[in-house]
Amino acid sequence: MKTTRHRTLRNDLIAYSFLLPNLLGFVIFTMVPIVFSFFLALMKWDGANPAQFVGLDNFFRLFQDEGFQISSFNTFYYVLGVVPLTLIASLALAVLLNGKIRGRNIFRSIMFFPYVASLVAVAVVWNMLFHPTMGPVNFLLYSLGVENLPGWSASVDWAMPTVIMATIWKGMGYYMIIYLAALQGIPGYLYEAAEIDGAGKWKQFWKITVPMLTPATFFVVMMLTINSFKVFDLIYVMTAGGPGRATNVLVYAIYNAAFIEFKFGYSSAIAIVLFAIVLVITLVQFRMEKKWVSYT
Amino acid sequence: MKTFTRLARAVATLALATLAVTGASAADKTELKMLVWDAANTAYLQPVIDAYQEKNPNVTISLISTSANEYSDKLAIMLAGGEAADIISVKSIPDYAGMVNRKQLEPLTPYIKKDKVNLAQYSGVTDDITVNKELFALPFRSDIWILYYNKDLFDKAKVAYPTNDMTWDQYAALAKKVSSGFGTDRVYGSHYHTWRSTVQLAAAQDGKNSIITTDYSYMKPYYERVLQMQNDKTVMDLASLKVGNIHYSGVFYNNQIAMLPMGSWFISTVIAKHKTGEATMNWGIVKYPHPAGVPAGTTAGTITSLAVNKASKQKDAAWKFVKFFCGPEGAQILAKVGNLPAIRDKDVVKILTSLEGFPTDATSKEALTTVKVRLEMPMHDKVAIVERILNEEHELIMVGAVTVDKGLADMSRRVKEALAQN
Repeated sequence: MKTTRHRTLRNDLIAYSFLLPNLLGFVIFTMVPIVFSFFLALMKWDGANPAQFVGLDNFFRLFQDEGFQISSFNTFYYVLGVVPLTLIASLALAVLLNGKIRGRNIFRSIMFFPYVASLVAVAVVWNMLFHPTMGPVNFLLYSLGVENLPGWSASVDWAMPTVIMATIWKGMGYYMIIYLAALQGIPGYLYEAAEIDGAGKWKQFWKITVPMLTPATFFVVMMLTINSFKVFDLIYVMTAGGPGRATNVLVYAIYNAAFIEFKFGYSSAIAIVLFAIVLVITLVQFRMEKKWVSYT
Repeated sequence: MKTFTRLARAVATLALATLAVTGASAADKTELKMLVWDAANTAYLQPVIDAYQEKNPNVTISLISTSANEYSDKLAIMLAGGEAADIISVKSIPDYAGMVNRKQLEPLTPYIKKDKVNLAQYSGVTDDITVNKELFALPFRSDIWILYYNKDLFDKAKVAYPTNDMTWDQYAALAKKVSSGFGTDRVYGSHYHTWRSTVQLAAAQDGKNSIITTDYSYMKPYYERVLQMQNDKTVMDLASLKVGNIHYSGVFYNNQIAMLPMGSWFISTVIAKHKTGEATMNWGIVKYPHPAGVPAGTTAGTITSLAVNKASKQKDAAWKFVKFFCGPEGAQILAKVGNLPAIRDKDVVKILTSLEGFPTDATSKEALTTVKVRLEMPMHDKVAIVERILNEEHELIMVGAVTVDKGLADMSRRVKEALAQN
């Protein structure tokens, strides 16, 4: 009896010791700042002078702040653009590259490449391709006879779509890999049976592939949603939130409030609202999971 | 267990020994840490430091350098994290205002009084950065806005050079006249870098309005003029510059622009690029153009200064270095490498204008004399947020997303809101 208990304890300790390095890092660099930011949201603090407790003032101010409204709108615009389109693009790629086509490994690598490419390089290259007066994209459109060429990332109306396109291009390879793995897991006999029953390719796709992929789709939607709400880097490099405030998203507003204006309390309040939004959406998605995801 | 104790004792002894050694050397040697940007590309830093170290052999200055673009953000974050570097280079007024607000700078007024530093030699710029009768930094560079021009392009177009006394209208007409060509061969008459200041400084030049205000309608004619120039392709448009990440220096060296309103900090760079062969054109400078009715030589300026970190443990030593760097000796060394020092007496200007590589014509030599210099961005505790608002709305007006009236009205409303907030 004693020895077994001793052994379990020993096993536990060994397991914890393996977890410890990561856990320590997580607690010090992630957990503590998160908890700290909840307190900060109730304070007025510039990083140097003593913090003042202001209660919920930061939150009241937030809902009157036009900048916050613009950033929220932009964030939802971005998420609603990125999530469905990346999903469709990566699924389409996965289905195409799952078939037996010549050189499919090369194509898979090409599609995965943007994901591993440096984000700054991607942003700079996109900006060059889509340069309003000197870029090849507008040159092509011009030679096709398009009038009123879009200003892409330099115009207020097109900046967000441009950033969304860049995000999709950069991310779709990664989600394609997830879909590919899931596609390999679909047993071949299902398709055989369907074919014997006279179902065409299109019908097979909707009746077998899509339902069998729902667990992967669920994962992809979750990751995409959370990652899209967190967007900052690509926007920082491509448009710096501009022109004006056309691509100023919530994380950008957090950055500005904290490190440009030194309102750490206010910036924490925005961060908490963002956290709440993502939390609610994630919970709703988990709730809905039962309705459409089939684990067979 | 026994071996462990012995080991611990050995380690402790060793540690004490090293401490004693370093402690002893620290007593007669002082190491001062200085926060700077782009150390490798800043020609004046090392010569001044060398001169100081020669005079004070027991002091070494070690530099902590960050890229110029990130300097402001990084500096703020380092200081918030308790950075104890002794000397802080202050790059801009918003940075200075921020650090003063956050009480991160040592007040220098007591040191100035004790050492009887003559503030009059800074011709008034120290008044602009005095906050509640306290000065927190000494300026070493005081740059002014001037107009650079490419003589070759003017010769080619057979147009007379710009002069030291031009109104903005005359300047715009000149820019149109000297523009020529199409597509990638286009020579643009002038150039507005992406900063809002390139347009807005001219609007505030007469001194009737401030850059920090709640009514920006006074900028309307200036925006209209620049937009007209953009339309005529007399200047490149802001959208292209922004997306293409185009720096004013490149287009100037490549003979793409005939004129360039820019700060005097660019002089030393142009001289240096001629030495390396990256730039070959003949160039000259004239005074910043001015609105009608405002005397020539009225311009905007910006100062670069040194401060002592409040968290420094060697404030006296740091102050001595700051005093030297920003004093007459530092000024002469700065001028020798092509910079406009804050102490701008006749000797200093003469050193600068007789430098090898400085334009030799009399007009250029005259260009650096001023009648009135106003700070590009006045001291204000809300300066950082105002700067951001001005830049955002500037961008919208310049890319044509809003009309000038709407843009300026939004600017006024947003700045008003920001100023009202506590």
